Amino acid sequence: MTHSEQPAKIQRRQRKVEDPKARHRRHEAMEAVKMLDNLRHNFANPPTSMTYFYDLFERVYCQGEKIHTGKPMVGTLCIQIPYEVIYALDAVPVRLCNGFHTDEQSGGEFMPAKSCSLVKATLGMLKQRDIPAVDKLDFMIHPTTCDQKTKAISLIEEMEYEVYHMEFPRVKESEESREYWRRTVRKFTKDLSRSLGRKITRKKLKEAITRVGKAQVAYHRLNELRKLDPVPILGKDVFLITNAFFFDEIERWTQKVHAVCDEVERRAREGFNAAGKRSPRILYTGSPPIFPNLKLPYMIEQADGVIVADESCSANRLFNDMVSVDEWFLYDMVDAVADRYLKGCTCPIFTKNDDRKRRLAELAEQYNVDGVVYQSFAGCQVYEMEQRSIQQEMERLGIPMLYVETDYSPGQGGQLSTRIEAFIESLKVRKRRQNHSKEEA
Amino acid sequence: MPYFAGIDIGSTAIKIVLIDENEAIVGQRVAGSGSMFYKYAKENLQQLTKDLGIGMEEIAYIVSTGYGRKLFKEADETISEITANAVGARKAGEKFGTIRTIINIGGQDSKAIGLDEEGNVVNFAMNDRCAAGTGKFLDVAAAKLEIDVEELGEYHFRASGTPLAINSTCAVFAESEIIGLLGNEHSREDIVAGIHFSIAKRIIRLAKKVGLNDVIYFDGGPALNAGLVAAIEDELGRELAIPDYPQITTALGAALLAKEGHGYAAG
Repeated sequence: MTHSEQPAKIQRRQRKVEDPKARHRRHEAMEAVKMLDNLRHNFANPPTSMTYFYDLFERVYCQGEKIHTGKPMVGTLCIQIPYEVIYALDAVPVRLCNGFHTDEQSGGEFMPAKSCSLVKATLGMLKQRDIPAVDKLDFMIHPTTCDQKTKAISLIEEMEYEVYHMEFPRVKESEESREYWRRTVRKFTKDLSRSLGRKITRKKLKEAITRVGKAQVAYHRLNELRKLDPVPILGKDVFLITNAFFFDEIERWTQKVHAVCDEVERRAREGFNAAGKRSPRILYTGSPPIFPNLKLPYMIEQADGVIVADESCSANRLFNDMVSVDEWFLYDMVDAVADRYLKGCTCPIFTKNDDRKRRLAELAEQYNVDGVVYQSFAGCQVYEMEQRSIQQEMERLGIPMLYVETDYSPGQGGQLSTRIEAFIESLKVRKRRQNHSKEEA
Repeated sequence: MPYFAGIDIGSTAIKIVLIDENEAIVGQRVAGSGSMFYKYAKENLQQLTKDLGIGMEEIAYIVSTGYGRKLFKEADETISEITANAVGARKAGEKFGTIRTIINIGGQDSKAIGLDEEGNVVNFAMNDRCAAGTGKFLDVAAAKLEIDVEELGEYHFRASGTPLAINSTCAVFAESEIIGLLGNEHSREDIVAGIHFSIAKRIIRLAKKVGLNDVIYFDGGPALNAGLVAAIEDELGRELAIPDYPQITTALGAALLAKEGHGYAAG
């Protein structure tokens, strides 16, 4: 007979059940810590200067640290919001676009089943009224870019947020749209200034342009290093750096990016290779990877690919063009700022988007790319639709492209990673053959 | 005086409850199932009657339930653990009011049972993926962390960092995930909390299928783990009703059904 005994009696513990806000915080923290673990520990020799960024994400998302205090906080729901104007008014922009699966699920109730993960997640986060990195929002701006974001405005307003609508044109090339957007930005400048009770001056705007420009310079410097072969920094670290720009204090961010560049440059001089010996060089494009949904970049680099360039609104598009003008009048400067946002944008919402094709071709050449991975969030129609023309363009250039449709669910793992691994392997074989035939010739 | 026995032969433990005509518990016992369910169940029943000074012939009716119920040949009747659990929960949970949802975690399965106002089973859902989120899962995890299953509760409350979820639903893969987390220098406490929250999420997903109504009742051996209880409560955002002896509810249900069965048999 086995050991037997009287049944055990439970010991109830006196405690308070978590409130919804604490639960939400914990859910986000639990997701964040896993992705950070992956990015931090599952790759060899990360730059030591990356520790700042790893820790930053842990502090903000796991420990709930609020970075900004004292200044007015301006939440932005798209990259098309001119940061320069916000900084010129001595306020701080914080990008609210969200990458959490837990928020995607809770935001799902507002949207049709097959709709954008990013919009769902952002709605879910706003519903909880728990915004990472900031303790309050003084102003929230939402541009009428894609359909889903545009329609989400009224849903956000139903949650009793005050949202500033920023009208955005759907045609890029025409003079009318340029003027339309300039007027939007001019109006926005006045409205934000009035709302915050602060006056914008030419000097202040110039300072803000410089400040954003310096951040752009640092980011450009980082991206230049990715052109090197062997590549001295992995894409996953660059994605993290870019994501940090959403909420970090801009001067500190700029300084820390330079620190990473310094170290990576030093490593590059020593011939350091951050990737594998035969790692294909990948250009990433499509729906933005927003922390902690760095699932796809993580999988690509775990599969021995290395992301050397990216084209998405949360990656390199952030810093495309710099406002270099120094106009005589304040509102001429505002126009220049407006132009940078419209002209540089390669978002698929535009009716005609040849710029994106050109940009991708350019990146593929400059960064010596072996293959392209195109991600579209399931339900993001514009990215889904543009996939066709980009595919054709890549075929024309002779660059293989993998198209993947994803969402924020972690469960997709097995099947997706197999597809990615197979793609990377095929690129390796292709590269070897090409080298072979070069040698023979 | 006639007595009625309920024997719940689970994958991990054998639970026996003896009641009298007034439905009062006169004896109860828990023993490991080991490798010979039938032999151990019989021996334990004999031992229990002996301890209580009751003759085996005084047991008027026996109902067996649980994973090994068909192996117990002396049973007058066998009944599924779903029905037995519902009947037992209604009795053991009287003090909590009307129980409409039962969450049960056993050695190798986990289930949610929806009850109507009278306590009848209206629907239920069971895990369909091996040992995911079951007692066995906790055993495997504890072993990998080199701690006792009984210690899991304490570890949970000592956790000070972010709980580390286990994404694998498979106990075998979960093992390697735990090894990975330990390798990344996470504390055992944070891992334990993460395991509890992962199980909690899974069981709530199951419970939502049957509906989360009124009093939510939780039983089965893992209900003794205060850390797991806290995790489920935090995920639910409300308190759970747990009987004093969460392991034996199903056996109690079987005993109550034995009394009822005897009544029918007697006519």
